[in-house]
Amino acid sequence: MPRAATVGRAGTPAVRAYAPIVVTGALAALLPLRYGDSRAMMGVVIGGVLFAAYTIGFNVIFGSTGQLFLCTGALAGLGGYGSAILSDRHGIPMVLSMVLASLAAAVAGGLLSWVAVSRSLGVIFTGIVTLAFSLSFENLLLGKRDLTGGETGLVVAAGSDTFLGEQVAPFYVFLGLVVAYLAVYRALQRSHLGWAFRALREDEIAAELAGVDVKRYRVVAGTLGSGMIGLAGALYAHSEGFISPRTFSFGEVDVLVIVMLAFGGIGSLLGPVVGAAVYTVLEEWIDSFDEYRLIIYGSVILVLFLTLPRGVVPTVLAFVGRLRRWWRARRPRAPAAPPPIATITPR
Amino acid sequence: MRAVVFDGVVLGLQFGLLGVGLTLVYGLAGVLNLAYGQLAVLGAVVAALRIDAGAPTIAAVLTGLAAAGAVALALDLTLMRPVYRRRGEDRVLLGLLLMLGVAFIIDGVLVWRYPIEALTLRIGGDPVDVLGTRMRTGSLLASAIALGVGAVLVVFLRYATAGKAVRSVIQDEEGAQLCGVSPARVRAFVFALSGVLAALVAVTRSMTSPVTVNAGIDFTILALIVAVVGGLGSVSGAFLAGVLLGVVNTVSAHYIGTYVTTIVLLGAAAVTIVLRPSGLLGAGRE
Amino acid sequence: MAMLDIAELSAGYLGEDVVHKVSLAVAEGEAVAVIGSNGAGKTTLFRAVCGLMRPSHGSVRLDGRPITRRRAHDIARGGLAYVPAERHLFPEMSVTENLDLGAYPKRPSPERRGLVLDLFPRLAERRRQRAGTLSGGEQQMLAVGRALMSNPRVLVLDEPTTGLAPKLAVDAYAALEALRGHGLTILVAEQQVPLALGFADRGYVLEDGHIQLQGTSAALAENPGVQQAYLGVA
Repeated sequence: MPRAATVGRAGTPAVRAYAPIVVTGALAALLPLRYGDSRAMMGVVIGGVLFAAYTIGFNVIFGSTGQLFLCTGALAGLGGYGSAILSDRHGIPMVLSMVLASLAAAVAGGLLSWVAVSRSLGVIFTGIVTLAFSLSFENLLLGKRDLTGGETGLVVAAGSDTFLGEQVAPFYVFLGLVVAYLAVYRALQRSHLGWAFRALREDEIAAELAGVDVKRYRVVAGTLGSGMIGLAGALYAHSEGFISPRTFSFGEVDVLVIVMLAFGGIGSLLGPVVGAAVYTVLEEWIDSFDEYRLIIYGSVILVLFLTLPRGVVPTVLAFVGRLRRWWRARRPRAPAAPPPIATITPR
Repeated sequence: MRAVVFDGVVLGLQFGLLGVGLTLVYGLAGVLNLAYGQLAVLGAVVAALRIDAGAPTIAAVLTGLAAAGAVALALDLTLMRPVYRRRGEDRVLLGLLLMLGVAFIIDGVLVWRYPIEALTLRIGGDPVDVLGTRMRTGSLLASAIALGVGAVLVVFLRYATAGKAVRSVIQDEEGAQLCGVSPARVRAFVFALSGVLAALVAVTRSMTSPVTVNAGIDFTILALIVAVVGGLGSVSGAFLAGVLLGVVNTVSAHYIGTYVTTIVLLGAAAVTIVLRPSGLLGAGRE
Repeated sequence: MAMLDIAELSAGYLGEDVVHKVSLAVAEGEAVAVIGSNGAGKTTLFRAVCGLMRPSHGSVRLDGRPITRRRAHDIARGGLAYVPAERHLFPEMSVTENLDLGAYPKRPSPERRGLVLDLFPRLAERRRQRAGTLSGGEQQMLAVGRALMSNPRVLVLDEPTTGLAPKLAVDAYAALEALRGHGLTILVAEQQVPLALGFADRGYVLEDGHIQLQGTSAALAENPGVQQAYLGVA
């Protein structure tokens, strides 16, 4: 009997596998009906979808292969600032700029993975190295004022005159991005790569012995996830029209992404979406209690990780799985057809 | 140039003290205390409040140290229990996340209740001449304290029975148990000690510049860098790394600039991890 | 009454028992061997007895006092010293420091230390050397020596000859024999059956987590089943 979502489901037909993504996307697409009138609210909604994208990318890196990258913000910043500078300063068409900037982020992430993998760095050390990268990048943004505008930030002209500058349209772009990312993640889970990733997380040594090239897979995951994060950052830069070091700082991005993923369920498909959604709602609700913000966040984190260590999605799925088994055990079964009588034909 | 290097050494001793608490806890329990800086700030704020209330400086400082130690002990006895029950990567991750939550809470409480509180210990006296360089009495005293405390710690760990018990848990937890050492007790003791040390660093820092409620995260990051370069789990390593990084800091700040200096320090940590993960000295070595 | 009394002990990993309702007893001053091949459950049994693991069932009594669910360090302080197969020495500390920690929380008595160093002269030569740099045989000696520093009433050893050359293995048992004279109660798990039976008074044969046979060493040595399985006699 198939167990909860973390076990491979390569056998599931494609329709069933991708259905949750379609449903999620369809439901989310309805949001502008409710909030489309308010620029502020759409900003919040877009922010939520943006972070969902970041978190999916982070999930590819951390959820799939256990590499604790504490530089999500920096990777997004590489995409955002990179694309902004390329398009505004060097006149490169916006789409191409975004692609190039995302590639830069992918390369950076891949390099970090490669370093971590070649030196067999554990979780903490990978975290520290990526943190060093993250903080250095932030300092670089602040220091190179002539290029990045320093602390005051950078106005991003390219794209502001397209539909990206509108109120509701960017939402659909980001939603499309998230749906695409989810599809990529799902495809990854179902592929040979996904199987390798899971084996890796379960038991690295056994995976290695089974022929899984742990190093290569980690670098692939690092590169892919980083590229996803970079692209989201680039898109954000052009749709928002203004970026500053704060937009991509560790405190503003990484901390949130980690909490969102851990809440939603590390390694699960919809975990990032659930995490981002809950956080966005929480953030809006907390707005009125601004002074207690940090205290509330801290308390939420504590309660969260003490009670739901695996995250919402896996816990819910496990619960649903248990319910299903209980239900099946209760229902009286139709009597099984009697086995066909074996006839032995004499030779 | 000599003045700059000397400045660096003096600063470095304080860096070392900062790294000690963090490195001990990590070497001992595999837990990276992300709330370390907040504990330091907590101690400073309590001391400042006592001074405001009219208490004599020394008493106020001791109260601050005690407060930080008490909070740290409370954390170990409560939140850390589920963390210690796990092993390896699981423990590291849960420890990180829970301490992150604690860091937020302490930060939040302090910023909310005492947003403008800052600790400043004015040490009177004219600048003193040491080895041909003028030094403020404040920074001299701070470094002297750091050096003194560091020496006491190293001696304790190396020669005292209780100190050896601490090192034994760092080097081989199971072996320590078989010798009758209770890892849980040792962890509680060291955790509380790290709180006191963190607060002490804040106090010494306040002798040269005010320590505000926002200083927490900077303390934590600096402590992390020092601990990593020195070798997680080694007190002497932390001091050695501290002095080294202190010199790097002042030289870089003097000749290049402050933004780059932070990158340089972070780079030092990253390079150490990549080239020599055990750091300068390595776990349990004193 | 037995010095060490293990009754119906079961223990295992992740909910699965590896040791099933094992009962064995060691009288004061006795030397008892538990023999069995790899995977029989000897290490699991010992770990459960010494507090490094929680048993799922059963009880353990040390000199009449129940120690079943006590923590390892409590049991160590209570007079039961365990020498695991992996030794678990402190690599960065010297031989002397390792020994001294064995006496924790009491202060190491110089007489005790002298006794141990007399027993293992090789260690005396390397007093200041860091434990991590010792050879396999020396590390084994140090592990046993450290366990002796607390003046235990019961000494439990898990495969003390692991990684030792044959001559050193024989020497190890000679040292254990010397210890018996001091009134020490000894329980040892051993794959090298001839050495074990040559040393111990009685033995238990553990297979798949169950006690299959028990008896005096002489009786076990003559048992055809034991001979076939463990003594290489066809």
